[in-house]
Amino acid sequence: MSPELTTVHSEKSTETGLRTEEMLLNVGPQHPSTHGVFRLIVKIDGETIKESTPVIGYLHRGTEKLAENLNYTQIIPYTDRMDYLSAMTNNYVICHAVETMMGIEVPERAEFLRVIAMELNRIASHLVWWGTYLLDIGAMSPFLFAFRDRETILDLFNELCGARLTYNYMRIGGVKWDAPPGWIDKVGEFVQYMKKEVGNYHALVSGNEIFLNRLKGIGKFDAKTALDYSMSGVMLRSTGIKWDLRKDEPYSIYNRFEFDVPTSTEGDCLARYQLRMAEIEQSLRIVEQAVAQFPEGGEIMGKVPKVIRPPVGETFVRIESPRGEIGCYIASQGKDKPWRLKFRRPSFNNLQVLPKLLEGENIANMVAILGSIDIVLGEVDA
Amino acid sequence: MANLLQQTTSLWNVTMFALAAVVLLLVVLGFVTYAIYFERKVIGWMQLRIGPNRVGPLGLLQTVADVAKLLMKEDTRPQNADKALFALAPVLAYAPAFGVLAVIPFTDSIQFADLGIGVLYYIALSGITVLGVITAGWASNNKYSLIGGLRSAAQMISYEVPLVMSVVGVVLMTGSMNLREIVEAQKDVWNIVPQFLGFLVFLVAAQAELNRTPFDLPEAESELVAGYHVEYSGFRFAMFMLAEYVYMFGMGALVTILFLGGWLPIPGLSFIPGIVWFILKFSLYVFFQFWLRATMPRLRADQLMSFAWKGLLPVALLNILITAVVISVQNGSFHS
Amino acid sequence: MLGFAKGLGYTFKQLSAKKVTHFYPDVPFPMPPRFRGIQHFSPEKCIVCNQCARICPTECIQLTGKPHPDPEKKGKIIDTYDINFEICILCDLCTEVCPTEAIVMTNNFELAAYSRDELFKNLQWLDDNNTNVREEN
Repeated sequence: MSPELTTVHSEKSTETGLRTEEMLLNVGPQHPSTHGVFRLIVKIDGETIKESTPVIGYLHRGTEKLAENLNYTQIIPYTDRMDYLSAMTNNYVICHAVETMMGIEVPERAEFLRVIAMELNRIASHLVWWGTYLLDIGAMSPFLFAFRDRETILDLFNELCGARLTYNYMRIGGVKWDAPPGWIDKVGEFVQYMKKEVGNYHALVSGNEIFLNRLKGIGKFDAKTALDYSMSGVMLRSTGIKWDLRKDEPYSIYNRFEFDVPTSTEGDCLARYQLRMAEIEQSLRIVEQAVAQFPEGGEIMGKVPKVIRPPVGETFVRIESPRGEIGCYIASQGKDKPWRLKFRRPSFNNLQVLPKLLEGENIANMVAILGSIDIVLGEVDA
Repeated sequence: MANLLQQTTSLWNVTMFALAAVVLLLVVLGFVTYAIYFERKVIGWMQLRIGPNRVGPLGLLQTVADVAKLLMKEDTRPQNADKALFALAPVLAYAPAFGVLAVIPFTDSIQFADLGIGVLYYIALSGITVLGVITAGWASNNKYSLIGGLRSAAQMISYEVPLVMSVVGVVLMTGSMNLREIVEAQKDVWNIVPQFLGFLVFLVAAQAELNRTPFDLPEAESELVAGYHVEYSGFRFAMFMLAEYVYMFGMGALVTILFLGGWLPIPGLSFIPGIVWFILKFSLYVFFQFWLRATMPRLRADQLMSFAWKGLLPVALLNILITAVVISVQNGSFHS
Repeated sequence: MLGFAKGLGYTFKQLSAKKVTHFYPDVPFPMPPRFRGIQHFSPEKCIVCNQCARICPTECIQLTGKPHPDPEKKGKIIDTYDINFEICILCDLCTEVCPTEAIVMTNNFELAAYSRDELFKNLQWLDDNNTNVREEN
């Protein structure tokens, strides 16, 4: 497959007789704003983008194919490395899929731990996005503030499961570790602290006129485009469609918590910024309730057979990851290894709209638009 | 110092003058070294970090180590670069930056050249730097540096207009373009009070002239990787870096002289020598630079242009009009 | 006009705020008890059941056993045991399945080396890596 553009190098003359040339600019795979090894070939006229071709696959490790030769527990650490900014949701989706197939009941305490872990991870993921996005826009301090608070979350995870990024925390039928003594209280303290911090974030950035002018009306698309491109998560909700699997197809114990699904009708980069910030607050609400209702004791692993062999058949489950709907399809032939495994990765689907959005924008907007999609290359390339 | 220029040329005064220039160069280099150090420290503090702390006590030798590293680096040049221009560009960028310092009066006695058109000299000379930047952008034969070079050409030329316009108010009030006379005219009240509008315009336009946050588009690292100097390394890169910080030195000095009363003390504190006052006011401006850099996101190219022409320029013109009217009324021009 | 002034105010306040810099490596970085670092392996506990090698998702564990030197006793004892840290992903599954706690995690995590060969750790090295051993596995 050649990544080259259909038309290369066209020359034209302006009315003044000045000869101008279009230029191919290669952005990435090593570029500060591609958020990983993502390559974008843009044809620019001056600073205006005429055409763009994303090239993905630099981080392709063949997770789905590898999984066909691994038993179900072994797949879990691989999912950590797909969306490495929110490994907990990836852990959950594979466990959830197998549990659905086998009809395993997960104990309440484990579900609570899962929900707390997933929501904290959502906050951590949005914090990374917030920091790096502001870095794209040109402000450097937010990154440091975001990482300080993300650090607190990672420390909490480190205490919970012994890793800061690739957690490998959930197991089919429950979770690997119970909360260490005092951990739940620490989470509760963090929630209170973070609520204040979000206000500081808004003071630092959200009102800045330069920032608002950079984002307002940029990268706009409507609900139809969003649906046509099969977008999900914030990308979809920014166009006014209220669709959040935690509310609309409640999984785990999300139906026990009260939270809102922030939506906007603007569909531009600013809307997506505001929604992610609002989602941090909603996630904090969920964690707060989960901490309050956390069961005193109980099992953390359900009744699981020694060797996990889902029955013959296929299943597809989907959950709400920080980036959108992450889905897991398993085709089983009754063996201890899946016959076929497929992940629906939200970053991959959301990214597809990029060439359409970039048309006619300038280079500075390119960075703002790409950043607002919030891709994780580990997930795009899987 | 200035009277050396008026004497007939002799070996003695040429040597003296050259020596003085070398001393100034050393002072400037010292400033640049520690400006970079403090920039990193201040931004570090604002970002909950501690900044450089490993080379020398408190990291004081960090910049020295960085410069030594740059000097020892291999001199690389892209294969298809325009060899002559590639080498010329850093010089073109740096030479005027140092040249402008000649007219800056640091106190009423320390000044190299007491030009009657000091303001004009500064602005005219600083305009040359943009040539160096464009040359660097073009000669590197790199698409990112080309875009960066053109961006900065557009930006620096556009912002020179409001910059000059904002100074016109000060010149009108003083009736002179001599920087020393401008300071002396601020004996009663510093220009920042009567020329507040002009000061604001100057502050913003100066920021854009210096290519610093939030107007750092030419080197926008998140878009253009490093802009016009993306292909430069080693000593040539150091020259660009140096030019940037020397301009900050120059612009800080200019702001101090034009609006903050130069070496003049706050009334009642005149026992502190003028040079200390100058350094204090100057440092305040430099700190403001770092502060902005730690806070602001970057503007977009088209917004930048419309801001210069539709925002700053009308305000600067309004400022000139108001100043002219007020001065005319004070002089009684309207009665006769 | 107020928006960016708020931001400036916030950054100015941070000048005196508590700094969060860690002084690693001057000051060692303490890891919580559950931290997954480099494995410790005690050969005397190993019963050569091969479970760790089988559960390893990246197949980075290689082991061989030999018959027990004392002919009275049944079973095998460990002969060689290698972990290739080039591909080990520290997923914790080997320590999870080990029935005798022969392979356990430690809190040591400094694996950086100048050569890839150094990342190939053998039985002796893993046995000597016996500091900061994790309590619960």
